[in-house]
Amino acid sequence: MTDPVSVSGLVKTFGATRALDGLDLTVKLGEVHGFLGPNGAGKSTTLRILLGLLRFDAGTVRLLGGDPWRDATDLHRRLAYVPGDVTLWPAMSGGEIIDLLLQVRGGVDRTRRNELIERFDLDPRTKARAYSKGNRQKVALIAALASDTELLILDEPTSGLDPLMESVFRDVIREEQRRNGRTVLLSSHILSEVEALCDRVTIIRDGRAVDSGSLAQMRHLTRTSIRAEVAGPATGLADLPGVHDLRIDDGVVRFDVESDALGPVLRHLDSCGVRSLVCNPPTLEELFLRHYDRTMETAR
Amino acid sequence: MTAFTGTPRLMRLVMRREWRTGFWWVLAIVSLGMVMVTYIDRNMPTLAVMATYVDMINQNTFFRALGGGTSVIVDRGFMSAFRSGGFLYIMTAIATALAVVRYTRADEDTGRTELLRSGAVSRFAALTSALLVAGSVALVAGALTAITYMAVGLEPLGSITYGAGVTAAGWVFGAIAALAAQLAQNARTARAIALFTLAIAYVLRYAGDASGQLWMTYISPMGWVHAVQPYRYDRWWVLALIVGIVAIMIAIAYVLVDRRDLGEGLIPQRRGRAAAPDLRGPIGLSWRLHRGLFVKWAIAIGVFALGTAGVGTIAPDVSVLPAGAFGLLQLSYGGGSGEVIDYFLWAGILIFAHVVSLYPVVMVQRLRAEERAGRAELAQGTTMTRVRWAAGHLVVTALGTAGLLVVTGLVLGYFYGLFMGALPGTLFRVTLGTLSCLPGAWLITAVCFLAYALTPRFSVPIAWAVWVWTAVTGQVAGPLYGVWGGTPFEPFHYLPNVVAGAPFNPVPVLATLALTALVLWGGLTALRRRDVG
Repeated sequence: MTDPVSVSGLVKTFGATRALDGLDLTVKLGEVHGFLGPNGAGKSTTLRILLGLLRFDAGTVRLLGGDPWRDATDLHRRLAYVPGDVTLWPAMSGGEIIDLLLQVRGGVDRTRRNELIERFDLDPRTKARAYSKGNRQKVALIAALASDTELLILDEPTSGLDPLMESVFRDVIREEQRRNGRTVLLSSHILSEVEALCDRVTIIRDGRAVDSGSLAQMRHLTRTSIRAEVAGPATGLADLPGVHDLRIDDGVVRFDVESDALGPVLRHLDSCGVRSLVCNPPTLEELFLRHYDRTMETAR
Repeated sequence: MTAFTGTPRLMRLVMRREWRTGFWWVLAIVSLGMVMVTYIDRNMPTLAVMATYVDMINQNTFFRALGGGTSVIVDRGFMSAFRSGGFLYIMTAIATALAVVRYTRADEDTGRTELLRSGAVSRFAALTSALLVAGSVALVAGALTAITYMAVGLEPLGSITYGAGVTAAGWVFGAIAALAAQLAQNARTARAIALFTLAIAYVLRYAGDASGQLWMTYISPMGWVHAVQPYRYDRWWVLALIVGIVAIMIAIAYVLVDRRDLGEGLIPQRRGRAAAPDLRGPIGLSWRLHRGLFVKWAIAIGVFALGTAGVGTIAPDVSVLPAGAFGLLQLSYGGGSGEVIDYFLWAGILIFAHVVSLYPVVMVQRLRAEERAGRAELAQGTTMTRVRWAAGHLVVTALGTAGLLVVTGLVLGYFYGLFMGALPGTLFRVTLGTLSCLPGAWLITAVCFLAYALTPRFSVPIAWAVWVWTAVTGQVAGPLYGVWGGTPFEPFHYLPNVVAGAPFNPVPVLATLALTALVLWGGLTALRRRDVG
C-alpha cells in the first residue's frame, strides 16, 4: 500500500523567492497528519501543489498513487479540500454551494449532509455574501466532510471557528478516522488542535521540513517540566546532569529536565522527601518554540 | 457640530478614492457633449439644412422622443443639447449614483465603515462625504460641459442652463442612490434599485414624449431634467424644483441613517435555496453564477433593438437629405441595392454585433475575477479542474452570445418589419444577418480567453483593447475615419451583406470558426501549463 501523500525534495520558486526548498512530507494511510509551521513557511503552497493548482520546479510528488498535476481530475474524485482562505460565490446560498461541491466530487449523501449542517449549526439558505468568516469556513468544511473521499486536505480549517465549533470539528474528524479510516492532512499553526487530533506531525520552516514524526517521538527529544514540594532542603539538584531553569522558593522546586535524565533526578527528589509532585509533558508549544529557537541559532 | 465630526477627514479620503473613477466619467461626459456639437456642425452646416432635419425629426415620433420634448427648433445650441442631452443626463446620473453607493453601502458591506465609525466619526459622516464628493463630480461634469459649449460659440445662458441640467440629473439620481443605500441591505441591491429607477425614469420619459401622454414625463425624474429645455425655454424654475426634491430625498436618507443599525436595511436580505440538486458541473456552475448577467443583457439588447426599430422608421426620409451627410456610409452599407433601408439595417446589425461582442469580453474577464477572489481554487480543488472549469464557462459564454444575437435579430427584424409593413421578409433577413455575425463574436471571445490563459495579470486591459480595436477598425467606426478594412484583424468586415441581397458565402464564416477553434485550443493548452491562483 503506497502512502496517500509522499513528497520529497520539493522545490517551488516564485520569481526570486524560494517558497519551498527541498520539502519532504509523508502522510501514511489512515492517519491524521499535522502540517505545522508559522505563516509564510510554505504550508499553503505545498497543499496547492498537491492539488495541481501550482506546478513545481523540482522534486517528486505522489498523491494517492498518481501525479497531482497530470491526473488532477481523477485524483480530485478521491479527495476533498478546504482552502485556507475560503471565498464563496456571494450570490449563492450555503446549501447550494455545499451541493455543488459534493456533486462534482460524485454524489450527495443527503442524510450525512443534513446531519453535518445541523451539527455545525449552519443556516443553508443564507446567501454567501452575508456569511461571516466562520460561516464561510463551515460551508467548505461541511462540503468536505460530507463527501465520501479517502483523503481530506484541510488548510488551517478552524481559523475562523469559535471554540464550540472547533470541538465539533475535532469530534467529526476523530469519527471519520475511526469509522471510515479516512486519511487527513491538516495544516495549522494552532498547536492545541494538532496535539488533540494528529497522529504524526511535520514541522515546516522556510520551505523545508525541520522535523517529522509522532508526537511521542518528538517529546522524547525534549524536556519535562517538574514542580515538587519537598520537606528538606533540595541541595545538589542543580548539579545533576540534564536539569535546567531551576528555581527554589519556600520549599517548592520548579525545573525542566531532559527526558533521558529523568531517573536520577527523581531518585534525588525522593531523597529530599517529596510531599507533592506535578509533572507535565512538554506542550507542543514549547516544542515548537524551542525548535525554532534551535534552528534559528544554528542558522546564526 | 458633533453631528458631522470626522466628515472633513473622511471627505479627503473619499475624494482621493473617487478621483480615479470620477476623472474618466467627467472626461467621457464632456467629450461626448463635444462630439455631438461636431456632429451637428458637420451634418447641418447651414440653417436651411438644419431646417430639413428639424422637419424630419418633428415628423418622426420615435426619433424626436430620443432627445426629449415634443418638438424641436432650428437652433445650433438647441440641436446640440437635444442630440447629446439624453446621453449626458444618463451618464452623469449613473456616475453619481454609483459613487454614492460606493462610499456608503459598499463601505458598510466590507466593514470599512465599522472601522471608521469606531473612531471619532459621526453616523452621518459617510453619507455626507459621499454626497458632497459625488455631487461635485456631477457639478464638474455640468460646469465643464457649459464651459466647452460656450467655448465653441454657443449662447452663454443656454450653455449654463444645459450644464446645470447635466448636474441636476446627477444630483437627482445621487439622492435616489442615497435613499437606496439606506433601504437595501447590500451594495448590489442598492445599485440595482438606483439603476432600475433610472431605467424606469427613462422609459417613462420616452414613452410620455413619444405618445403625447405627458403625465408619464412629469412623474419621471428624467422627465424633469429634460423639461429644462436649454437654449429654448431655459426653465430655471424646473431646476429649482429639482433641487427642492433632491433636498427632501436627502433629508429622508439622513433620518434613516440616524435610525437604523449599522449594516441593517429596510429591505431584508433575500434568502437562497437550501439545496441545489441540479448543480452538478462546470456548465451548471457557470450558468448559475452568470445567468443574471445574461438576463440583464438580453433585456437591455431587446429594448435597444426595439428602440432601433422605432428610430429606423426615419430611414426612408433620410434620402431627402443632402448626399454629403450619409453618402459614404450609404455606399458602404447599401450593398448591391444601395437602398437606404438596407443600409440602415446592415449598419444597425453591425452595431449590435459590436455591442453584443462586449458580453463575451466581460464574461471572459469573470474567469480572472474568480481566480483572483480565490473561488477558482475552491472549484478546482474538486473534479472541476482547470480545463473543465474554463471550458464550462466558455460554453455558457458562447451560447449566451448566440442567444443575444438571436434576441437582436428577432426583435429588430420583427418590429422593423411591423413598423414598415414588411413582415415576414424583414424578420427573416435581419435574423440571418445577425446570426452571420456569431463566428466573429466567438473569435473575439477566443482571443480574450487566450489572453487570460497566457497573461492573467494583463488579461483585462487586453480584453478591452481587443474590443476597442475591433470597434474602431471595424465596419462601424472604420468608414467614419476612413480606415475601413484597413486591417485584416477585424472579423466582421469579411461578412457578405446578406441583408442587401448579397449571396451568402460560407467561406468567411467557416474560416472564422476554424480560427476560433485554433485560438481556443491554444488558450486551453496555455491554461493547462500555468499556475492558478
